[in-house]
Amino acid sequence: MRFVSYVWRCCIATVVGVALFAAVSPQEALAQGTGVIRGTVSDSSTQQPITGAQVQIVGTALGATTNEQGVYVIRGVNASTVTVRAQRIGFSPVTREIAVGAGATASADFLLHPVATSLSQVVVIGYGSTSRRDVSGAVSHVSGSDVTGEPLAGVDAALQGKTPGVQVTQNAGNPGNGITVRIRGSASVSASNQPLYVVDGVPIQQEDFSQLGFDGQNLTAITSLDPNQIESITILKDAASAAIYGSRASNGVILITTKRGQAGPAKFTFGASLGQQSVARKLPLLNAKQYISYMAEAAKNDGYDPADEGFAVGIDDTVSTDWQDAIFRNAPVQNLTLGISGGSDKLKYYVAGSYFNQTGVVIGSSYQRANGRVNLDMNATDKLAISTSIGLSREMNYRIQGDGSLEGIVTNAIGNQPQFPIRNADGSFTDPDIGLNYPNSVALATYNSSPTTTQRVLANTEARYTLSNSFMFTGRVGTDLINLHERQWQSPLVLGTYSSSVNGIGKSGYSTGDKFTGEGFLTYNGKYRDEATWTVVAGGSSERNWDELNFVRGEQFSSAELHDAGSAASVTDYDASRSQHNLVSYFSRANFSVLDRYLLTASIRRDGSSRFGQNNRYGMFPAVSAGWIITNEPAFHALSRLGSIKLRGSFGVTGNQGISNFAYLGTFAAANYGTSPGISPNNFPNPDLKWEQTKEGDIGFDWTTLGGRVALIADYYNKKTSNLLVNRPITTTSGFSSFFDNVGDVKNTGMEYQLTTENILGSNPGDLTWSSDFSFSTNHNEVTALYGNQPIYGGTYSLNTARVGAPLGAFYILKFTGVNPETGDAVYQDTNGDGSITADDRVIAGNASPTYWGGFTNTFTWKNFDLKGFLQFSGGNKIFNGIRVFADDGGYNLDNKLDYVLSRWQKPGDMTSEPRASYDGNSGARQKSTRMLESGSYTRLQEVTVGYRIPNSVLHLGGLQNTRVYVSGHNLYTFTGYRGYNPDVNSNGSSSSIGLGFDFFAYPPARTFTVGLSTEW
Amino acid sequence: MRPRLLSLLLPVAMAGCSSILDVTPKDTVPNATAIVDASGAHSALNGAYSGLQSLDYYGEAYVVFSEVLSDNARHSGTYTSYADADNHQVAADNSEVRGIWTAIYDDVNRTNEIIVKVPKITGMDTDDRNEVLGEAYFLRALNYHNLVRLWGGVPLRLAPVATVAEAASITRSTPADVYQQILSDLGQAETLIANTDQTNEASLGAAYALEARVRLYMQDWVGAEAAARKVEDMGYALAPNFADLFTPTGTATSEDIFRVLFTPAQYNELGYYYLTKNLGGRYEVAADSGAMVAFDPASNGVGSAYNPADVRGQYSIRLDGSRVYAAKYRTATGAEHVHAIRFAEVILTRAEALAQLNRLPEAVDEYNRTRARAGLAPDARTGRTQADVLASIYKERRLELAFEGDRWPDLVRRGVAASTLGIAVSQTLMPIPQGEIDTAPGLTQNPGY
Repeated sequence: MRFVSYVWRCCIATVVGVALFAAVSPQEALAQGTGVIRGTVSDSSTQQPITGAQVQIVGTALGATTNEQGVYVIRGVNASTVTVRAQRIGFSPVTREIAVGAGATASADFLLHPVATSLSQVVVIGYGSTSRRDVSGAVSHVSGSDVTGEPLAGVDAALQGKTPGVQVTQNAGNPGNGITVRIRGSASVSASNQPLYVVDGVPIQQEDFSQLGFDGQNLTAITSLDPNQIESITILKDAASAAIYGSRASNGVILITTKRGQAGPAKFTFGASLGQQSVARKLPLLNAKQYISYMAEAAKNDGYDPADEGFAVGIDDTVSTDWQDAIFRNAPVQNLTLGISGGSDKLKYYVAGSYFNQTGVVIGSSYQRANGRVNLDMNATDKLAISTSIGLSREMNYRIQGDGSLEGIVTNAIGNQPQFPIRNADGSFTDPDIGLNYPNSVALATYNSSPTTTQRVLANTEARYTLSNSFMFTGRVGTDLINLHERQWQSPLVLGTYSSSVNGIGKSGYSTGDKFTGEGFLTYNGKYRDEATWTVVAGGSSERNWDELNFVRGEQFSSAELHDAGSAASVTDYDASRSQHNLVSYFSRANFSVLDRYLLTASIRRDGSSRFGQNNRYGMFPAVSAGWIITNEPAFHALSRLGSIKLRGSFGVTGNQGISNFAYLGTFAAANYGTSPGISPNNFPNPDLKWEQTKEGDIGFDWTTLGGRVALIADYYNKKTSNLLVNRPITTTSGFSSFFDNVGDVKNTGMEYQLTTENILGSNPGDLTWSSDFSFSTNHNEVTALYGNQPIYGGTYSLNTARVGAPLGAFYILKFTGVNPETGDAVYQDTNGDGSITADDRVIAGNASPTYWGGFTNTFTWKNFDLKGFLQFSGGNKIFNGIRVFADDGGYNLDNKLDYVLSRWQKPGDMTSEPRASYDGNSGARQKSTRMLESGSYTRLQEVTVGYRIPNSVLHLGGLQNTRVYVSGHNLYTFTGYRGYNPDVNSNGSSSSIGLGFDFFAYPPARTFTVGLSTEW
Repeated sequence: MRPRLLSLLLPVAMAGCSSILDVTPKDTVPNATAIVDASGAHSALNGAYSGLQSLDYYGEAYVVFSEVLSDNARHSGTYTSYADADNHQVAADNSEVRGIWTAIYDDVNRTNEIIVKVPKITGMDTDDRNEVLGEAYFLRALNYHNLVRLWGGVPLRLAPVATVAEAASITRSTPADVYQQILSDLGQAETLIANTDQTNEASLGAAYALEARVRLYMQDWVGAEAAARKVEDMGYALAPNFADLFTPTGTATSEDIFRVLFTPAQYNELGYYYLTKNLGGRYEVAADSGAMVAFDPASNGVGSAYNPADVRGQYSIRLDGSRVYAAKYRTATGAEHVHAIRFAEVILTRAEALAQLNRLPEAVDEYNRTRARAGLAPDARTGRTQADVLASIYKERRLELAFEGDRWPDLVRRGVAASTLGIAVSQTLMPIPQGEIDTAPGLTQNPGY
């Protein structure tokens, strides 16, 4: 625990420094007497009290939150006339002047008018929060209720299509799977492209701690958060907003705020849902008759006798098995949540628990999660407030083997031939002995298992000390402890596998990731008369990260009942290692609001990281943004009938340090020879390695009109990432294949729009209402420089490239030009005209990342009914359908084929784009070319929900309120030209930066129908 | 004024924290302290041996990929890089070609570290130092010969690279220069190595045996014969039972000269690639009908008819149902040591050199030794042409060393790969991996790629 005390020491040092400062600053407040402001906040349309509204003395840190009855109390207010602002998400804020007398209690009630939410929110901005109105950077806000209800484990997955600028790709459809999130495009070649996640102010661990590979089914530490416990999500998109997080902000920052208690009697919230999932789409594979006749033709074309090869039409095709049907199932998904909140002015609590259980639509896979959360807020004294946020979670994830092994369950169901049955006559599973090309999928799913258990403590304690009316000190200590244990059992009972030849394989791995954060900062609120207000934040933080793992793999088990590596007779692999990386940071930010129309924010952060050598250990990340509420400008008074228009512009610098811990250092690693200990060079040094740097400019506007019924937020950004952290290839004659270097530039430009409208606003309760939310984003990505313009290749089969002038990860493959009508052979473009088709003939063949995406939500309410529909779309990209390498190869592999091959060339004169069948694989169909590249564009009806709110008068059960029942369908229909399971796919996983847009037998997504209930008492 | 004061104070308060940025790795050793004493020298040498275990090297690809290129084996699995080898459509971006090249140069670098740094260690026992250096020279010679026989003239890297610019400036040497360097390294090895009995590491016998192989490739028949005779004079003997050479545990035999060590945890994947799925393998590569015909012409390459008299044929190719597989490596676990050079090859090298020198009866006597061990009647010593004797030796070499990675370079060495396999001459030299040409523009591609 030595490092814990170290973090503490750093914090204490910070606190001492701040206290020193506080001691020398004049306590101006003491000169005057203070008074109290008390009142209620209510909804102007319903007259109901509003819970959780923030009431603040403008220009100070003083403020309070309303309780269950809508009541707030602010103590210690200077005896003077002060400006008080009341605000709450979903309402337009109201500001009033209140005169406070010394020792007196002033009363101030507020009526807030509900509005379209997007422009009236309170948004978290990192080391503070502000009204959306005062934001001059590009910040998106998603409320917690928008990310619940999806039959998905992770909040990252639920962000898909919800907010502009954030592009979300499911890597595969298995439960609890990792998600690829790109904010404003991919910028890095070899460093991480995932955004930084910050929960309740503390950056969290977000990587995959798993040691076993499941090919795109990577885990993510994000799934341990229950979306139901999230109050709101703020996404810092432009560099100016994100720069306060410095060296980790290049990919954007996702700030997650969990729910907190409100003063009042205990309030219980309960939710339950139960869903039924099924595979949304099956692949069109051949049946036995079609397959045998195709393979017979392939054999004949190349001079073989089909009967010798087992393709006798009418004899070998009497049985026909649909292997996909055998591995897919209808599977339940259930979610239970219970929350209790309440408290007094002194102590408020939010306690919640939840259980999520998703059985996979492919046999053998499932995901379960149990969460607990305790969030407390204490007013220890008038000046000291303490908050704790503690989240506990346990996840259990049963994964199934993916594509890269011969034991993939989905893979083998696609690959195995249809003329063979699943079981022998005696009921046992068939195996390669009878001719199956791969081990039996159903046997694999039945006997093998790969459970991963992740336990996590995500906790932080925050102390806020009001030093004076103007100054507040915040100290925070956060821990994030992840303990992941995974096992894998590959049974000897699955015949035709390596494991059956060695009496089983058992693996066990433990990984821990411990992160400790300590930070302290001062917040200063000031104002000049009523003309200007400002907030200045300054502080420092330090972070320590420890990772440790061990692993053992054993073979030779005495019985198929003993699965743990400890019972193995032979240890065939082992590992134990640890690593550490630390960060020390200083930051400051100032926000100014002048004359209610000029907004200015400037920030700077200095980060020091242990991941870089002495030469470039520290990086500086400045940012500035400005806003002009032009409709408040007297000179443009005429504009104000258009509503409110804010023009924004920003520029900032952010960094990326998402690389391995000692990339800068030349080292030797263990290379043992039998029992003789050995070492060998393992990393080529680069002492000058430094931060990847992103400079981003953003201009945009926020426009609300028709009394807040129409709100449009639009942005244009231009983002240039330079000093790219590239795992730069070097000639392997050096003994190394690559080393980390800062070379190259990537440019991302794009537009973002979010339009929120209240199309029909009922005048009385129960009238029809209709609101819409439309988001649309574009991104243009281009690699603008690389070392010596040397291209870099990546992805499976090296299909993707980073090369100057093309989008990062663009497909670089042969161009298929058609099928020769005379020979039936595939024809490829001889790009360099040398008369032969070689690697030199490859061309840039499409973008692996979407160039546009968005979502469209419509919500209707009428009487007690509500209806929501959500369409999500994405496009402009290509997907390499890797299944076709085996299932549309002309018949070289024995794998079953996609029905594409039914339109094949069969005789001279046939005009088709499908090459002839060829058993020897010499028709050219095996070439990985644009022939297997398909459009990745799609539009998906992602959700339709119908709800009914049961009137309290009908339901008299124990004081139940706000009881709602609903039925919803998710992933209902996908409009796409893509012919695989799902165009929303990334088989190379979240960490891939170049190898995107690849589908290799990815687990198909489910279509889900859910019924649910939520209630309160 | 206040924020300014603040910004002065906070860094002061936080200054104590910056020392947490001085983090050292826990599972690697910085270059500066890696090879500085006798223990470090031995560790580096063990590291150089472990480089041979790579799955891209003796652990699998160097052996199996080469067999697929030849007429001994064919592709039967899913890897497109192996399919391309079988069809002789190997391109410059073939992942196995790159893997093999990279693994060998990785090991070259490991030996260079030793050859450059070990002489500078102070206070190291001279005999100890000589042995370490001698074995490193042997390994470098082995590595360069493995490179030159697949790619032709390759870049000669004789010291660790200090800068990226230095790495990128390299060019190819001529085959003659590479052979010159190999002989020079072998000369050093033969001078410095004292050990004569170890077989999982280099011995003096291994150095002579490699010299015999290298001189055979150089068509230096006199030199090859002389080096091979030196090995014969050291007391090696054919293992009486052919199967003993390939036991799953890698049991030592009198025939062993240099075997790369493998264990259950440091495994090879030869068996895994060759064996059928029912035997636990991935059956990526199958025994070719051509190999069946070589062992048993009467079989016509049909599995059910395969019934060779040759003990090696019975051992090296087997049937699992209707699937024909290469059976020299019998377990998918891959814990047996893999022969890099064994005495039978030295005998056949000497036989070939003798035949080339027209000492035909001696040549026949020599190769009849491996025939006898295979349970075959001796070939006639007299009344035969040189071409006939040579043809017998070539065939004997194919049968003896089938599936061990010798066939393809042997065909190329003799200049008959194109005619035997019916492929373009340009396909007989592997392409320089495209990534190498991208990163070291001075490297020229072999013709036809």
